[in-house]
Amino acid sequence: MMAEITYRQALHDTLREELLRDENVLLVGEEIGVFEGSYKITAGLLKEFGPKRVVDTPIVENGFVGMATGAAMLGLRPIVEIMTINFIVLAMDQIVNHAAKIYSMFGGQCPIPLVIRTPGGGGQQLAATHSQNLEVWFAHVPGLKVVAPSSPADAKGLLRTSVRDNNPVIFLENLALYNIKGGVPDGDYMVPIGKAQVTKEGSDLTVISYSRMSAVALDVARRMEEENKLSIEVVDLRSLRPLDYETILNSVRKTNRVIVFEEDWRSYGVGAEIAALIQEYAFDDLDAPIKRVASLEVPLPYSKPLELATLTGAKQLVESINEIAPRRRRSQS
Amino acid sequence: MSEISMPRLSDTMQEGTISRWLKQPGDEVKKGDVLAEIETDKATMDLEAYESGTLEKILVQGGETVPIGQAVAVIGSGSGAQNAGAEPAQQPAQEPSPAPATARTATEEAPAAPEPAADSKNQAPAAESTNVQQRVPEIAERSDGASIKVSPLARRMAEEHNIDLHQLQGTGPGGRIVRDDIEDYLEQRGPTPSTATPETAPAAPPQEAPAAAQAAAPAAQPEAGAPPPDAEVVKLSRVQVLIARRLTESKQTIPHFYVSSEVDMTDVLAMRQTFNASAGEDGVKVTVNDLIVKACALALEKFPEVNSSLKDDQLIKYKRVNVGIAVDVPSGLVVPVIRDTNIKGVRSIAREAKELIAKARANKLSTADLEGGTFSVSNLGMMDASNFIAVINPPQAAILAVASARKQFVPVDGQPVIRDMMTMTMSADHRIIYGATVARFLQEVKRMLHDPYSLLG
Repeated sequence: MMAEITYRQALHDTLREELLRDENVLLVGEEIGVFEGSYKITAGLLKEFGPKRVVDTPIVENGFVGMATGAAMLGLRPIVEIMTINFIVLAMDQIVNHAAKIYSMFGGQCPIPLVIRTPGGGGQQLAATHSQNLEVWFAHVPGLKVVAPSSPADAKGLLRTSVRDNNPVIFLENLALYNIKGGVPDGDYMVPIGKAQVTKEGSDLTVISYSRMSAVALDVARRMEEENKLSIEVVDLRSLRPLDYETILNSVRKTNRVIVFEEDWRSYGVGAEIAALIQEYAFDDLDAPIKRVASLEVPLPYSKPLELATLTGAKQLVESINEIAPRRRRSQS
Repeated sequence: MSEISMPRLSDTMQEGTISRWLKQPGDEVKKGDVLAEIETDKATMDLEAYESGTLEKILVQGGETVPIGQAVAVIGSGSGAQNAGAEPAQQPAQEPSPAPATARTATEEAPAAPEPAADSKNQAPAAESTNVQQRVPEIAERSDGASIKVSPLARRMAEEHNIDLHQLQGTGPGGRIVRDDIEDYLEQRGPTPSTATPETAPAAPPQEAPAAAQAAAPAAQPEAGAPPPDAEVVKLSRVQVLIARRLTESKQTIPHFYVSSEVDMTDVLAMRQTFNASAGEDGVKVTVNDLIVKACALALEKFPEVNSSLKDDQLIKYKRVNVGIAVDVPSGLVVPVIRDTNIKGVRSIAREAKELIAKARANKLSTADLEGGTFSVSNLGMMDASNFIAVINPPQAAILAVASARKQFVPVDGQPVIRDMMTMTMSADHRIIYGATVARFLQEVKRMLHDPYSLLG
């Protein structure tokens, strides 16, 4: 059975199911209880589960992430909501220096089954300090896992897996994904962490992406296949750490040309990492330099026209596809 | 110092061949001077200098084909002509040549931006100059012929198929040999076992082959169906390759059908004589073909479905009537276009046709001369052809083949009379045009040719 629901609904339902399934699971965050969440992911949950399971916190990110880390050390399974990824900066010390390290620094005495959910992304005219994509900071840190679902089904499957994982997981959401709809399998649906998905098969070139840009890439690929007969493969990474080398490399071996499409800034980004691993493991399969399509490297402007000009998107991807698609395939269109 | 790169001279152009260089290294050039002639898929055009200086170096020799954007020559102050090897060091101070316009924009923007990074394509100044430095040695290597730019995949494929990369012309960025080029080559070579090497194939002792034939034979040809040693092998020009491809495509994808009609040309020929006699010594003489072209143009006005194209599932009916005339040239066949033929007088048509034919024979047609045709006329009347049928020139929907006018007995009022009879045959695209339409169209052309003064309106 598949129900058509929004990404928001998929997250909400999964949180509720996990709260019902395991009494050690609790939600922690700003405005998640009485106000039901800035983006209404936790709507109704305080009423249903009470203030011990759905904990409204003061505006003090480092404090409540530290509290959640401590709770995880003692056997609870906290799911923290950071209102947007921009505020996670305040909790870096707890995440990077504590949650990520306690298990290995203290001889594996206690795992940290902690999930930190947080949306990233721009495009909502929230300006430079409220529109960032900082996920690579966490993907850089051993001891953390980073997942970034792009569809309602993956939102459900990855959230379940994250809650049941014994390591701290950064669960990346995106403001522009909350309202998208998609089929979500019923029941105890799980998506493994560290496993990418080929969301569309293709033979001419590969677009590798994650989170919202992965949804954009899928849309562009379908359209271009219809219009230009270009056969584009789309790889949705789903997990940034650990990264699924196998799926990426298999696709490169098939299409020989790669675009990495990411909403964050280009320098030191996801594209840089993927380009590096491809040249390392699949150099002889490359027919063209790997192309990175990312947002312009400026603090994001508030003005709508400037915001649109800054963020990467379908237009930039289409241009790059046209630039990099193999000549023999292009001339047929 | 700046590089001159292969320009994009038409919408369909992907690569160009340097026909010949008109300037040599060391020559002074002024902005606007013609440096070389370039043969594209459509025509031969001039490559002009965009700035004055000295032609320091030719990177692509006459006869060679390179993709658009690739550097073909270097123009400088003259100091670099002798020590060409020293140029990479000077390069970073110059504009990166493949996209001067973009590069200029980037440098203009840079001072205004508060942060060093301004644009994902031209990120930091450091990144930009690295790109330039990377690009330059590649070009230098290529011009030396010492090393070839090839993608890792293409290199691996070449090894697997026993291909000598020196035989290939790369079409990737900067002339890089990519998978496409290997696949092109493999297709050309045909399905041969990859173990067959050139040494094992031909039986004839190579020493006895005439030197000229050896030089002309493309290196790719020996394995399958090798021509006998006494045959002459001539490499097709780009235009001929294009003609071959277009005609094959036309015959294979367009369901042609044909309708013929005989026209009495006696009155046309008589009128033409009178008309040309009145033109005087240096006036333009109107040809029979000009009159037929005019008749077709007027008929096309009445039959817009003939003046059309099929594109996917859409019929595109053109408002303008642009008739192309097939011209026989040494390299094959070209079809320059007389625009708005329906509203031009026969003398204008005659003048234009004459100019286009002269340009075609001199290989001087521009892309503009060849684009936009909506119908074509092919005339073998001067060559004593009694009848022939033509291949449609896509994306057009029809073409009229015009044979010779010959004296024949025809019955007029029950009596045999000698008249000038001519057969014309129309080839039409049956996907969008039907038999009755073509027959009516021909009737209309015929009506006007029988009443030739209607063409002068």
